[in-house]
Amino acid sequence: MSCDKIQEKFADYLTGDIDATGRKTVQDHILDCAACREDLEDLTVIWAKLGVLPEEQPGGGLRHRFYTMLEEYKDGLESERKAARKEARAGWRDWFTFRRPAFAASFSAFLLIAGAAAGWFAGGGSEMKRAGLSREVQDMRQQIALSLLSQPSASERIQGVSYSASVDNPSDTTLAALFDAVDADPNPNVRLAAVDALYLFRDRPGVRESLVRSLAVQTYPLVQVALIDFLVEVREARAAEALKKLVEGGELTPEVKSRAEQGLKQIGI
Amino acid sequence: MPPTDNELMEDVRDGRVEKLAVLFERYQTMLYNFFLRLTGNRASSEDLVQEVFMRVLKYRAGYLGDSRFNVWLFQIARNAHIDHLRKLKAALPLDEQHAETPSREPRPEAAYEADQEAELIRRALDGLPVQKRELLVLFRFQNLKLREIAELTGVQVGTVKAQVHRALKDLSRIYLDLQQGRAS
Repeated sequence: MSCDKIQEKFADYLTGDIDATGRKTVQDHILDCAACREDLEDLTVIWAKLGVLPEEQPGGGLRHRFYTMLEEYKDGLESERKAARKEARAGWRDWFTFRRPAFAASFSAFLLIAGAAAGWFAGGGSEMKRAGLSREVQDMRQQIALSLLSQPSASERIQGVSYSASVDNPSDTTLAALFDAVDADPNPNVRLAAVDALYLFRDRPGVRESLVRSLAVQTYPLVQVALIDFLVEVREARAAEALKKLVEGGELTPEVKSRAEQGLKQIGI
Repeated sequence: MPPTDNELMEDVRDGRVEKLAVLFERYQTMLYNFFLRLTGNRASSEDLVQEVFMRVLKYRAGYLGDSRFNVWLFQIARNAHIDHLRKLKAALPLDEQHAETPSREPRPEAAYEADQEAELIRRALDGLPVQKRELLVLFRFQNLKLREIAELTGVQVGTVKAQVHRALKDLSRIYLDLQQGRAS
């Protein structure tokens, strides 16, 4: 084996990380090669001398700085997680504001099924018990809904609308609160949510009429469009007159006017 | 059985960053001595150790765990040291920018007398170009295998073996020169 190849093994030879065959190859070579023997002797000496360098300990300040940095990083991470959770919750709420009638209907159905299942399990088979329990739950939801609808915070009023929507058969008081929200809530998002919630109760007497009336007093374009969509969806013939007045009134945005004209045609069909 | 470095780092990567404290306790002295042997400056070495762990947090998402943790850690340490040298060079006057020898802090006289041999080898090590010094520090003091250094530096194992051989020969020559200079 050439001197170059043998010298490549010196690093492993010094650390002992070499098998018996490799060790013997090196030892055999240096017996015959004075240059490599001298080379290995020098390396062995310097390798051993490096070992006298003591290991030093860092000062205690390093540990303190590290743990301070780690705590700050954890705090930052926790803040980010909280912000993300908050955002996710906000997104969840947006989703559940019943802006989409189809979704609202499916959510309501889910609640009905969940309520029925809970009643079945809790009632132990007693129809009367189940009915009583269900009524209590419904009453409680309505009370919460009415309470939330009267809050000064728009997000709480939107929650109130959501609660109203989860009631199977809302009382006239709850429906009246929703009508008020559609007509007079200062926040257009609450109005929109109320229109969507009322879609669930579109077959209750008074609901369609109330929304037809609302069309005449509504000033927010988005809510106007939501009302038109609602009335077109349910094919409410009584809306035709209100839509006609709306179009002729001349105070609509171009988008609302266009939607009203289109709605008029759809209802007329 | 205590968790391995890799398991701990995977925890850190997945958000349980408090596990980094265990890795810090395992590696702070090793890293400190790595930097101390490269820079010769205690304060800079502590700053660099702190910098390494900050980078570990910064790049934790990129930890794949497909190589040994210490190789990944020393990759970060090497980069931190390179950046440190760049900053030093930028701060130095032009005529001093090519000096690579670390500035050793003065040692107490008693310690110097008691440890002449260590001081001589330390000075010999300082006399090596920074790449060779780093190679020997990794191999001799950080207990990295030749194949790990090859992975770290991106070269073949055979090349690392030859580089170690040359670095040791150079160190031996510098050491003998210093020894003869002291004797004369």
